[in-house]
Amino acid sequence: MIRVEAVSRWFGSVVAVSDVSFEIAPGITGLLGPNGAGKTTLLRMMTGLAKTSSGRVTVFGEPVRNNPALYRRIGVMSEHETVYGFLTGHEFVTLMARLRRVADPGAAADRAIALVDLLEAQHRRMDTYSRGMRQRMRLAATLVHDPEILLLDEPLNGADPRQRVHFQALLRRLAEQGRTIVLSSHILEEVEQLADTVLLIVNGKLAASGGIRAIRAALDQRPYHVRIGCSDGRRLAALVVALPSVEAVHLDPDGSVVVLSRNVRDLQIELPKLAQNAAIALRRVEPLDDSLESVFGYLVEG
Amino acid sequence: MGAVYRLTVRQLAGGWRLLIMAGLAAGPVLFTMLVLSAGGSPRVDQFEQVVIDAMLAGAILPLIVLASAAAAFSNELEDKTLANLTLAPIARWRIVLPKLLAALTVAAPFVVLSTLAVSYLAYLGDGRAVLAVTLAAFIGVLLYSAFFLWLGLKSTQAMGIGLLYVVVWEGFFTGLVSGARVLSLRHYAASLMHGFDARRFATETMLSFPAAVVMAVLVVAGFLWLSVRRLRKMDVP
Repeated sequence: MIRVEAVSRWFGSVVAVSDVSFEIAPGITGLLGPNGAGKTTLLRMMTGLAKTSSGRVTVFGEPVRNNPALYRRIGVMSEHETVYGFLTGHEFVTLMARLRRVADPGAAADRAIALVDLLEAQHRRMDTYSRGMRQRMRLAATLVHDPEILLLDEPLNGADPRQRVHFQALLRRLAEQGRTIVLSSHILEEVEQLADTVLLIVNGKLAASGGIRAIRAALDQRPYHVRIGCSDGRRLAALVVALPSVEAVHLDPDGSVVVLSRNVRDLQIELPKLAQNAAIALRRVEPLDDSLESVFGYLVEG
Repeated sequence: MGAVYRLTVRQLAGGWRLLIMAGLAAGPVLFTMLVLSAGGSPRVDQFEQVVIDAMLAGAILPLIVLASAAAAFSNELEDKTLANLTLAPIARWRIVLPKLLAALTVAAPFVVLSTLAVSYLAYLGDGRAVLAVTLAAFIGVLLYSAFFLWLGLKSTQAMGIGLLYVVVWEGFFTGLVSGARVLSLRHYAASLMHGFDARRFATETMLSFPAAVVMAVLVVAGFLWLSVRRLRKMDVP
């Protein structure tokens, strides 16, 4: 369906995407990575909106760049949330249907708007919409020509929990119908709930790819640094080093204990018991490298 | 094509833009009426020099077109909505051409009506002269539209660059170095006007009528081609 072959893109001396190759089959694929990782640039090259500096992107075996005919079969929802505010939602979706040569644009717009559950607001100007409503109407415009491939850049931005549930159900339904859906996100849980396959992009490179379970397992097994503030750091350090979940212990000058663990779940259970038995008061337990960047960084190094 | 055209007309006709264009277009007409009602009777050649050449051709026409044509693409680029059009299965010229027609639709009535009114007052009873000036003004709108449309797609500073072209190049430099008129849209339009009514206007044209026609065609076709090419080559935000 979508083939990305040795694709790179640089802006001056900044490399945004570096030598990335993969293939995408029907189903939901998540493009996951921290902000600034190159997801949007990659997605834009996959849509043909941006050119590649090297390598090539093909969709249905044809180059996607400068190939407008392909857009009959592709629906793209870009990261930008701006819309033609002077149009009503229905006018906007009908316009998109007309541009995409749909036989009956009005009826197609009605169907697409019903899919995103926004019929009640379809005749209001879009500059009166909330962010979530704009996103849903943009999704309706993306779906209006019934595309086989959907490329969605951070589609859940601005959606409230109810809208998220609705949106996720809709995407699953579309995937079950045999469509190819690529959605980018920087939120692991978001991708985890939806995607069958994950492409992990870090620093413009493909850090990992595969099933979401394998990626999640790799994330769970990574080493964590945990700082523990307590009433007696020296004694706790001596005791905690004996725990099976702990690999190394370091005592900071301020008296707090920094523990390296590959099994944080066990540590969460063992540590309070240990402290209670030794009559040591735990004041603070905090992960030191739980940011998304460090999680992705670990996978890149791995 | 119709969908892009209607969308662009609505974009360009919104808000302050039409008011500014109407104000600009009314300026020469009001000035002419003021001069005439004050009992002054300027010679026709004085009138041509001040109102038609300096005011209309030198300022009002290009400014009105700049406000319309440059915005046809630059608004989409600023709002990041251009992808809505480029992600459609239509040839790029089917985006560029309706944008040009929409810019013309918005700008031309103001320029044509203003020119018609002023030339009618100036050349009372001379229908051919009125027609020549009005037709040349319309072609001027077309030439500037093609240029500013491309500029809006090429640069985020289209308004500023367009203004520099009108004020510095056409307003100042071509007056200083006559050879520079070869690259002046205003001069092409003026040459056409001279050709339409050689009896009244054939004075110091630099370009013959056929040469002016060729240059006008080249300008419109050339900038349309450049716009299509730009749309194909650029990264669309």
